[in-house]
Amino acid sequence: MVSLKVLFLAEEKIPVLLKRLSKTSQVFAPVQVSDTVVVFQEFSNGAQVVFDKQASMPPKGVIFPQTEQFLSYTYAKDPENLTRSTVQLDHQVEAKPTLLFGARPCDVQGLAVFDAVFTQGQWQDPSVKARTDATTIVTLLCVKPEGTCFCTSVGGSPTATEGADLALTPVSGGYVAEAITEKGKTMLQDEAFTPAKDKQVKEAERVRAAVKKQDTLPLKQIEQKLIKLFSTEFWEQMSAPCISCGACTYVCPACYCFNITDEPAGMGGERIRTWDSCMFYQYTLEASGHNPRPTKAERYRNRIGHKFSYHPTNYKGQFGCSGCGRCIKACPVSLDIRQVLREATTHG
Amino acid sequence: MSGMEGKELRVVGFLCNWCSYGGADTAGVSRFKQPTDLRIIRVPCSGRVDPLFVVKAFMEGADGVLVSGCHPRDCHYAEGNFYARRRLEVLKRFLPFMGIEPDRFAYTWVSASEGARWQKVVTDFTAQVHALGPRRAFGEGAGSGGTG
Amino acid sequence: MDHVARSVKEQAVAVLANIKEAITRELEGLAFVIGWEEGYDPLHAAPFFVRSLADIERLIWNPLCVHNLTSYLPKLKGRKVGIICKGCDSRSIVQLLQEGLIKREELVIIGIPCRGVVDMARIKARVDCSQITDVSFTEKAIAIKTPDGRQEIPLDEVLATKCLSCQYPTPLVYDHLAGAAFSAQRPAAALYAEVEEIEKLDLKERLAHWEKELDRCIRCYACRNACPLCVCQDQCAAESRNPHWFSQRTGVNEKVMWQIMHALHLAGRCTDCGECERACPMDIPIQRIRRKLNKEIKELFEYEAGINPEDTPPLYTFKVEEPTIKEKEW
Repeated sequence: MVSLKVLFLAEEKIPVLLKRLSKTSQVFAPVQVSDTVVVFQEFSNGAQVVFDKQASMPPKGVIFPQTEQFLSYTYAKDPENLTRSTVQLDHQVEAKPTLLFGARPCDVQGLAVFDAVFTQGQWQDPSVKARTDATTIVTLLCVKPEGTCFCTSVGGSPTATEGADLALTPVSGGYVAEAITEKGKTMLQDEAFTPAKDKQVKEAERVRAAVKKQDTLPLKQIEQKLIKLFSTEFWEQMSAPCISCGACTYVCPACYCFNITDEPAGMGGERIRTWDSCMFYQYTLEASGHNPRPTKAERYRNRIGHKFSYHPTNYKGQFGCSGCGRCIKACPVSLDIRQVLREATTHG
Repeated sequence: MSGMEGKELRVVGFLCNWCSYGGADTAGVSRFKQPTDLRIIRVPCSGRVDPLFVVKAFMEGADGVLVSGCHPRDCHYAEGNFYARRRLEVLKRFLPFMGIEPDRFAYTWVSASEGARWQKVVTDFTAQVHALGPRRAFGEGAGSGGTG
Repeated sequence: MDHVARSVKEQAVAVLANIKEAITRELEGLAFVIGWEEGYDPLHAAPFFVRSLADIERLIWNPLCVHNLTSYLPKLKGRKVGIICKGCDSRSIVQLLQEGLIKREELVIIGIPCRGVVDMARIKARVDCSQITDVSFTEKAIAIKTPDGRQEIPLDEVLATKCLSCQYPTPLVYDHLAGAAFSAQRPAAALYAEVEEIEKLDLKERLAHWEKELDRCIRCYACRNACPLCVCQDQCAAESRNPHWFSQRTGVNEKVMWQIMHALHLAGRCTDCGECERACPMDIPIQRIRRKLNKEIKELFEYEAGINPEDTPPLYTFKVEEPTIKEKEW
């Protein structure tokens, strides 16, 4: 940690802090929207922010909205030659200053996957890049991982701060706040942050050290193992309970596939990008009607292969998974990706 | 000339080619005055009308939707309107459950010779829709603010 | 086999023994048998494909067996398979038979008369489910152990809505019945309670309700894929570009239209198994939308989906005089 100051943020000061910050930024925080569901939403007065439950949806929508307009187009008749139409294109990249407050380390690790794919290297996505650059991340360290968490098996940790600007550790009465980057240091100047007492700092250290260890998955060499394990029979068995619904891909912090469609409206329309899912039949359906992944066995093999083999190979060993466990909880048939990985490592 | 003062609303009508479209024609030829809000889409038979046509019309901004076909037993294709009657009755009972006012959707039977009846149907239905005013789309005015 | 005298636990043990015995006899002629096994924690079961005799030991039967396994059947047409089903699941089988989407001779059905399964959303609302260490069932309650302690909740408070008004606890079609048959124990009047909750609201309130609930919809189509009757899910009209029913945008308008489209495509076909609502990762109460259509169709045509394989669904047919349809006079 590049922390130069350790401060304290009282629980009851959070709504006031977020309200103040929303004057200059779009503030996204985990909000209770129903009895059982917490989602990252734009903070508004009276919103019930909740920090002790994992949000049902990851905050990837902050840099990668589910629907995004790429450009709009309008047709007009060329007045010089009425048999010709002209097309006017309108394209804007909009990125307001944004604050993501309360993302868990697994959520931030998911955003690192987006970074690697969309904002690094030769081909960068201007929209994701603009949003990423405009976003400040306050991460909430995890002191009570759930039974479905496995971030430590994929290179993460409940107390990881990489990728965040400010880190909060839950202690009695509030949070110990530590700056990770210069952006974080600037945030700490807000009056809601008060000097941390010695015992609070010690409590934070204790709490981080006491985080219960998770089971570790045997993922060494999984990259190569999955390449060898192309047999359809294995994947037919693994994917037998799957119903190809796509819930796992939508709740995953590291899933980034998208679809681009033109939506016409009269004499114009817009080109939009929307989330897509490799679990859908249409994912690889070609215009000819041929589909190289016609059954869920091939699609499921691709999902696991992508996250634990192809993506790490292309991106210097980074897993396409942050171990948050949402896919296990959201799956209508409780398909457990950890079990599949264990079977894959022991098969053959 | 619009029978209503002020703005026209967007009222969509699905008319079967043989009876209702003919009935509308008869009304026109007889120069019966009607509100001009109704925009007609001609279909071969009321049985062609998928209940989702009505829903899509609402989603695209229609303020009212009317479906009209031949009288039962007089369907040009013998049975089409029997199916339509069942489907559209189910639809009629369902739409208010989702928050669409019942007066915004109606289905009826108008034959090719019933020009006067067509005039009455259009006038009354348009008035019914005007009484409710323009329909607000789902989500309009209800801030989402989610990351999706 | 006096089912009243035996305790709940004894009955469940007997049912499971019957299931295992039936499968042992039938497995050889089948590609596999679909049942349930323990899931990723003590509070979850998961669908399980029995392919060998050794697999049989992993089968379980208890109120956590919530999944309607019949949704796998349409894609398995052409293969001979076995399936374990509860009363409500058997209605899906009957409906699929009515529509010719599966063949009766390709199925070996092991039916279980069922007293109810849990609704995970109801449990989640009362118990912190992040770390479950143990789950057990007493006569009328479910006991859940977490690091915070043990909670015993009356089963009736966390049963699925469909179970509270269940009229068909004993499967309507089966080759083996794994327990003693019994008739409906629940009041039929409770069936439309959730629908009536919405009908009590005025139009503005209904609109606000659906806008609020569907706002968090992520249009993942889990509701569609979990539905046993949605056999056209791979060519779904919702994703069709030609005809272009609706855009890929994820506004509330599109999400409401998707629910309406799904419900209308199920009109007269939905057997009220509740998989749609159960599968929803955002816990949106969508089953009542389909149930509303079921209610209207029952009133208009005295028809319930999935009861008799010889029935004709009401929207596939007509009457020249429809006594229940009172039309508007212009």
